[in-house]
This record gives sequence, C-alpha cells and structure tokens, in this order.
Amino acid sequence: MSIIVVGLNHKSAPVEVREKLAFNPNSINTALSQFSQKYQDKNAEIVILSTCNRVELYISSQDGAIKVEDVFSFLADFHKIEPNTFSPYMYHYNDDRAVNHLFFVTSSLDSMVLGESQILSQVKEAYTTAAMEEATGKILNHLFQQALNAAKIVHTRTSIGKRKVSISSVAVEFAEKIFQDFTGKIVLVVGAGEMCELLLKHLYEEGARTFIVANRTYERAEELANEYHGQAIKYELLGEYLEKADIVISSTSAPHYVIHANQVKEAIRHRRGNPMFLIDIAVPRDIEPEVANIDNVYLYNIDDLQSVVSQNIDERNREVEKCRVLIEEEVEHFMAKLEEMKIEPAITHLRNHFHTIGKEELERLKPKLKNLDNEDWEQVVYTMERAINKLLHHPAKVAKQEAKNGGGYRYVETIKKLFGIFHHTDHSQH
Amino acid sequence: MIQMSHIPFIITIILYFISSVWSIGYIVKPGVFDKKVAKWTMMMGFFIHSGFIVFLGLESGNIPITNVYESFVSLLWCILFVYINLDYLYKLPSLDTFLLPVVTALSIWALTFDGGNLLITVSLQNFWLIAHIIPIFVGYAAFTISFSLSIMYLTQQRQLKHKLFGSLFNKLPSLEGIDKMMWKTISFGFPLLTLGLVFGTFWVKTQNVLGEMWYLDYKVILGLATWLIYAALLHMRLIASFHGTKIACLTIAGFFLVLFTFIGTFFMGSKHAFQKVSEQTHTEVLNVQ
Repeated sequence: MSIIVVGLNHKSAPVEVREKLAFNPNSINTALSQFSQKYQDKNAEIVILSTCNRVELYISSQDGAIKVEDVFSFLADFHKIEPNTFSPYMYHYNDDRAVNHLFFVTSSLDSMVLGESQILSQVKEAYTTAAMEEATGKILNHLFQQALNAAKIVHTRTSIGKRKVSISSVAVEFAEKIFQDFTGKIVLVVGAGEMCELLLKHLYEEGARTFIVANRTYERAEELANEYHGQAIKYELLGEYLEKADIVISSTSAPHYVIHANQVKEAIRHRRGNPMFLIDIAVPRDIEPEVANIDNVYLYNIDDLQSVVSQNIDERNREVEKCRVLIEEEVEHFMAKLEEMKIEPAITHLRNHFHTIGKEELERLKPKLKNLDNEDWEQVVYTMERAINKLLHHPAKVAKQEAKNGGGYRYVETIKKLFGIFHHTDHSQH
Repeated sequence: MIQMSHIPFIITIILYFISSVWSIGYIVKPGVFDKKVAKWTMMMGFFIHSGFIVFLGLESGNIPITNVYESFVSLLWCILFVYINLDYLYKLPSLDTFLLPVVTALSIWALTFDGGNLLITVSLQNFWLIAHIIPIFVGYAAFTISFSLSIMYLTQQRQLKHKLFGSLFNKLPSLEGIDKMMWKTISFGFPLLTLGLVFGTFWVKTQNVLGEMWYLDYKVILGLATWLIYAALLHMRLIASFHGTKIACLTIAGFFLVLFTFIGTFFMGSKHAFQKVSEQTHTEVLNVQ
C-alpha cells in the first residue's frame, strides 16, 4: 500500500496548462472509472481534485505499483495531449509527503487566498464523487476523512480563516459595525461596475433588500436593479435620493467627485443624525474627502479597505507556522494508522492459517471419537477455536501497536517467515 | 475612619475592581484575561453587596438610606441589579467593560461618605418615602447604564471615524445596536424618575417635610432639571427621531446631572431631609412609628 499525489497548481503552472488538464464534473466520473478499471489488479484507489487553481490525482496502489509515469500517460491519454506539454509543470509526492500535501491543501494553506474555506468543500466533493464511483477503498477513504478532519482542527484552533481578506467582505464587516442588521436599510449604488455588483451581492447575502441604483447609462442601472429587485433612478436624481440611503456604494469612472460634502451635510440634516456609511471604491475618487468630517457620516475609500485587507492577510500569514505544526501532528497520526492498516491483512491470514490447521486436526480426530455425541463434539470444536484465538490475541495486539510506530511491513515479513504463510495478497509490502 | 462593619463593602469594591481590570484586559489581551473571571468576580461582588445591604437594613431596622453613605451603597446596588437583569435579557457584549469601572469609581467615592454626619431626619417608616426613593434609584441606575452605553457609542464611533480597527473595534457591537440599548434604558428610567418625583411632591405637600419653601431646595430644582433633560432626550428621539453623537453627548450630560443631583447638592448646602444631627436625635427619628 502506497500513496502518491501527482498534480499541478496556480504556483507551478500557468492557466494555459491548468485548463488543459482540468476535469469537468462529467469527465471526472469517466476518468475515475477508467483509471479504476485499468489498475484493478493493483488494488488502485483514486480521487481527482480539479478546481480552477489545481488539478491533483491522489492514488493509492499496492506496493506503489502505480508510478508517476503511469499517471502522466493516463492524463495524456485521457486529455489526448502530449505528456511533455504538462509534465514539467507537475509535482508529485509519495506517502507521508503526499499525505502532508493533501492536509495542507484541504486546510487551505496552499490556496491562492490563504485560509479561504471554499477548498474544503471542493475536497469534500472530489472525495464524494470518487466514493460514489467506487474508485476509493479503505486507504483513501481514511485519508480523505482525516484530511477533512485536519482542516477542521486547523480552522478552529488557529485564526487562519477568521479575518476577512476581500474588499467587499471587509466593507460589509464595517457596515455591520454601524448597523445592527441590514433589513430595512436602503443601499444606494452609484455606478454599476463589477465591484459595485460584488458588494451588492455581499450585502444581499447579509440581508439587505432595498437597493437604489444610479448609473450614467440608465439601462445598465435598470439591469442591475432588476437583478436584485431594486429600483433604478436617473443619474441626475442622485442628490435627491442621497438622504434616503443608509449605505452608499460609489464606483463610477467619473474623473471628478460625484458626491459632494454639502450634499451629504444636507442629507444627514434630513436624516437627523441617523448614520450614513459611504464606500468609495472608485479611482479617481467619487466622494469628496471632506465628507468624512461630517458628524455621523462614515466614509471609506479603496485604500482604507485595502489596508485592512493587507493587515488581515499578514495576520493569516503569521498563523501559517501554527497550522504547519498542527498538520504535522495529524500526518503523524494518519501514518501510524496506515502502518496499522498495513499489518491487518497479514494478521487475518495468520488467523486463517491457524484456524485451517485447527480444522484439519479436528477432522483427523473426529473418526477416532465415534462415541462422542454432537453436543460434546461441539464443545471440542469450541475449545479448539478458543485456544487459537487466545494464542493469537496477544501477538496480534502487540504487532498492531508496534506497527503504529512505523515499519509495519517488518512485522508482516516476520509473521510470514515465522509461520510460513504465503498468500497472493499478504505480501502487501515493499 | 473605616469601621469594621464596612469591610464587606470594601471586599465588594475590590471584587468590582478586579472585574473591571479583567473586563478591560479581555479586550486588550484576550489571551491573558478570561472573560469568565470578570463575570464571576462581578457576581461575587454583587452577592456580597446584596448581603451588606441586608445587613445594613437589619441593623437599623429600615431601608438602608439612613445616611448619605448608605444611600450611595443602595444606589450602586440598584445599578448592578438593573445591569445584571438587562444583560440577561439583551446580552450586551462588552458593556461591563464600560460600566464596571464607573461602578468601581463610584463605590470608592461612596466610601468617602462613610462616617459622615449627615443623617436622615424623616421617619423611614413612611410609605411616601419608599415610593419616592425606590423608583428614583432604579431610574438613576438605568441612567448610569445609558451613560456607559453613550461612552461605548462615542468610543465605537471614534474608532469608525479614525479607522482604528483593533480588538476593541471588533468586540464592540454596532452603533445602531448601542443606540437602541441607550434608548431602551432611558425610556425605562424616565417613567420611574417621573413616578419618584411625583410621589416626592405629594409627600412634601402633604407632610411638609422640606418646609414651606420646598421648591427652592437645590435637590428639588436639580431633580426637575434632570427630569427635563431626559424628557428632552426622549422628545428628540421619539418625536424628532434624532440619533447619533448628539444623543450620546446629551445622555452623558444627563448622567452628570443625575450625579450632581444625588451627591453634589450636599456640598451646596442643601440637606434634603438629611441633617447634621446627633446620633441620639437620629435614633429617635428612626424610631418614630
């Protein structure tokens, strides 16, 4: 039993290479079943993780029978491309390093945005797909369950995923420090660009429902407003609607200020001190900076938000070392369990071997004890089985225990040698 | 001189102090200071405080307001009592950080009145007195909490304005949330203050406690001013729906007026039913049935 991972990610390969190797939900199933069939005789197990940032194949096979080259040629055949077009960008790890890599990936320490939580569900999905396709077995089942578990431990015991690291989520976090909730709050969107839409989506997810959209091109405003059941207004009416807005998001491409201090002053007077939150994500800025000096008005520009994002990213980076230690512990646990799993088939054969001998001896004995009735004979059989189980109990326990500390195969070899067991599946080790 | 019998209150102050340190520490260094310590020392302090109030009551056979010190201790008890109930009902994160230091400071101040010679000169076995004092004390307690909330509001709004996103920023609730709580505590305290003042007026009118010119008593005048400032606050909030910084500042002003009405008037010469009398006369007064 050996585990390898072969793959590429956003660090090792450009998107042109990644897209060639990417699997879509349908092709994953086909690939899984093709691979499993091809290497059925090698007890192959496989999970394919394919996201926009990475394509990775986790494979377990008997005695490490499946080599990196086999995986390369499988990928080349499947995607109908030359192996040398992607092989220089691929990395591969064996056994504990492969396990370490998976735990790292699942805990989102290998992600483009450190600590993001999406990868966890992607790994979960990759595993479920493989399990449904019956492409996984004892080893990978255990490996992926442990990986998900390790990720959970890392996320709860460190603050790797706690601070927000995108402009829109930071902006929403600030809005939450001004308003208790967003129901009934009016969001005024000035400009209908991508960034505005992203913020709008975020606010919608957090409960905001009333949106007013103003844009130079009215049609685009209408389009965005319809999407979120909001109201589109003429750009010229912006000033009139300002006092209604609790939250203002501005991101136009105008070369001058769109919202002026005196307008906001007037608005806040009408609002009787009800706070206003203004987010200016435009460059050049849309909102006159003096607005920030008005009482009960909170103005944030792109730099304010960006600086918080960078601080939070630094904070996450500082947590990496802590995560690494936690992961190493988890890898160790898994490897110990793997060693224990390696020895299990050998113990099963040993047990079968003893019971077979016992049975043979009983059959030899039976004709000699003719006057024994059925009940007494059953007692004899029972005693024999009990004696064998008792004899084997201790060595099996100790072997498993010792195997946990590594080198499980040595015990397998010893058992085979001592008891002369030879079976086609028991020489499972190197 | 601090009397032996006041040791329980000193222990209470120490516990409130520890609670204050821990509740502030929890915000500055959450790894070192455990929030639970802040909570349990406060609860223990409150428990001893309650016991002390009962002791004072049993000792004199009256509600414990027979001198300025006792009144102060009782008012502090009311503040904690109202806070614990509000916290149970509304879960107010980090309010203890802003309230407990105020309570601790007031408690230490209360201690300086210990052994003062201003003693009550009216019978305490009087329905009107109780009807006057209790609603006012609970009302004052609510105003003290609204004061802490205002400080909290101004702190959070300063952090939002100056873009200070530290641990304090993360631990404090939203401005809107604080504003709502401020409004709740004021609208809880105001009717009680009104009730207390009305009963007080009845009392002076019917039993001539403060003499003919009762309306010139400083405490009466300031009491009315306090009532007016909170009435103005409620009006601004209810009718004109004012929010934000102005309301918070006005609430702070209201609290200082409360404090001045409660304690400051004694320094101005107003006795408001407390007199420099001999122990013997005092005992006689208390024993009037």
